[in-house]
Amino acid sequence: MHPIIDTHGLTKTYGSNGAAVHALRGIDLTIERGEFVALIGPSGSGKSTLMAILGCLDKPTEGTYALDGERVEGLSGRELAQIRNDKIGFVFQQYNLLPKASVVRNVELPMLYAGVGRRERRQRAQELLERVGIPEKAKVLPAALSGGQRQRVAVARALANRPALLLADEPTGALDSKTGHEVLELFADLHRQGNTIIIVTHDLSIAAMAQRQVEIHDGLIKIEEAA
Amino acid sequence: MFDGAFRERVLNSWVEMRENLTRSVLQSLGVILGVASVLGGMSISDSMRKRSMELYVRMGGLDKLNVRQSAVVREGAPTALQMANLGLRTADAAEGEGMDTSAVSGISLRKDARARVRSPYADQEREIRGIGGDFLALDGYEVDQGRDFSAHDIDTAAPIAILGTEAVAVFFPNGDAVGRTLRIGDTQVQVVGVLKERVFRFRSSNGNMFRWRNRIIALPTTLVARRFEGDQYHRVDRMAFRIRNLDAMAKFTKGLSSLLKANHRQQVDFRLDDVGARVRKQQSQGNVYDVIFMLSGFLSLIGGGIVNVNIQMATLKERIREVGVKMAIGAPGREVFKEFMTEALLLTAVGSLAGLVIGVGFSKIITASIGVPLHIDPKSFVSAYALAAVFGFVFALFPAWKASRLSPMEALRYE
Repeated sequence: MHPIIDTHGLTKTYGSNGAAVHALRGIDLTIERGEFVALIGPSGSGKSTLMAILGCLDKPTEGTYALDGERVEGLSGRELAQIRNDKIGFVFQQYNLLPKASVVRNVELPMLYAGVGRRERRQRAQELLERVGIPEKAKVLPAALSGGQRQRVAVARALANRPALLLADEPTGALDSKTGHEVLELFADLHRQGNTIIIVTHDLSIAAMAQRQVEIHDGLIKIEEAA
Repeated sequence: MFDGAFRERVLNSWVEMRENLTRSVLQSLGVILGVASVLGGMSISDSMRKRSMELYVRMGGLDKLNVRQSAVVREGAPTALQMANLGLRTADAAEGEGMDTSAVSGISLRKDARARVRSPYADQEREIRGIGGDFLALDGYEVDQGRDFSAHDIDTAAPIAILGTEAVAVFFPNGDAVGRTLRIGDTQVQVVGVLKERVFRFRSSNGNMFRWRNRIIALPTTLVARRFEGDQYHRVDRMAFRIRNLDAMAKFTKGLSSLLKANHRQQVDFRLDDVGARVRKQQSQGNVYDVIFMLSGFLSLIGGGIVNVNIQMATLKERIREVGVKMAIGAPGREVFKEFMTEALLLTAVGSLAGLVIGVGFSKIITASIGVPLHIDPKSFVSAYALAAVFGFVFALFPAWKASRLSPMEALRYE
């Protein structure tokens, strides 16, 4: 069985020659199916860049990256879009819901891009909303929800196409500690159900919930420890 | 196509438009005005064209071939053939009809003269018009009181007359002309019919273009030939053939031309005038105005298009994050492109509809102010709409392309 994530010598350099910024300087990282990993590090450490590359939002300058057994570093923008749609579910700090679409239509969106039929979309979206605990909010607009509820919608949307990997970037950063904790509980539940999860955070108490912490420092993996 | 992404795109675009109503109205203003001005311009020329068509119909119809006598340029002494040529005669008309009796559905003959016309009330030197065949119908006259000439009247050169309303007013000012007697030259003629008054104002403020037609004093051609323009050959000044079928018209014109040339000793001393063809030609020259109106519409659509691109680019800035999110959850650039295009095209479609409504309003005001009844050809609607669609499409391309080329990373991070 191949790992979900397998990278070798990932580097990312912005700018060129004189003014080059080396955001990543050679990352070797392997994450197995079903792991719950926290990616930690101070701001500017390169963890956001790593997250972008792992999420197929950006391409590495050098190195190899296999996602779910498939090499992705040389793929075109269109192929990457398809991989994001199919294999990755994103959860962002600012929820990033479409404000003019109802909750259920937000959740349907990844399925729409995947070409899932209307009836099936609606049904699965409703199931996902039940799973994250807000089935009654399907028809409302995101603006009518609390921060915690919005993040639940975002999680439901991330799960829509049954991704191989759930990538959460500071998912509790905009929430108070109580609702933040509830959202983390949701992630823990999802992990127990077998999802592979990576949480990017600078909060060590959040990182402590994960099985394994990967600390990035100056574009390199500094410490790896498993709980 | 209609169940999935397309339907969703249209729905989203609609929501987007409604949510940003002010912006959408501003964006579509160029399209609205462009369509309105194209339609307004075209409807003016449509209305004028329709009006002139009505004029020709009122003048006796478009399905006519007029034949007139025309001078032949002669140098030096006339040749024997030229001397022997008798010109346009009643016989020509009969032979012309004989060529293709199924195609010809009416013939009119006209022979003019001048004479002194006297009644108990007036005494004037007037034009008198000898008429034969179906002259009244082919010239758009209708009998109001009394009757038309019968074939027998014309064959026998009956001393009878039909008067237009002006002639009645002059010679029988208290009305009641039918049955009364006029003295034309030295001939006593009895009035057997009075024609309906003819009125046509191209614009409501114009004078009556048909005023002179009401002056008519009509006698049988044969009477004019016998008593006023002594002529044993039955020459006529004009003849006309009514031919309903357009294809038959072309063939008949050709046949008649060679027939007349043969009858006229190889002299081309006549002019054939296919009224329908002439009018169609005139109207196609009138299309120059359409081009001018089209051009002004073009310019407003271009102006509107540029404004539109600007607004679209500005709103793109606001929506970069949204694009980033969509890309992150798997929308390819192509999908983003389609979403932006759908929005722009929906805006154009709705704006164009509004433009058509306003354009009709424009046209109503303009045609009312120049006093011509409004007529808009369905083709004008279609071309105004199509023009806007083309411009909407072209000007939507750039912002949509820009949006589709965003990097998902940068778009997500955009503040």
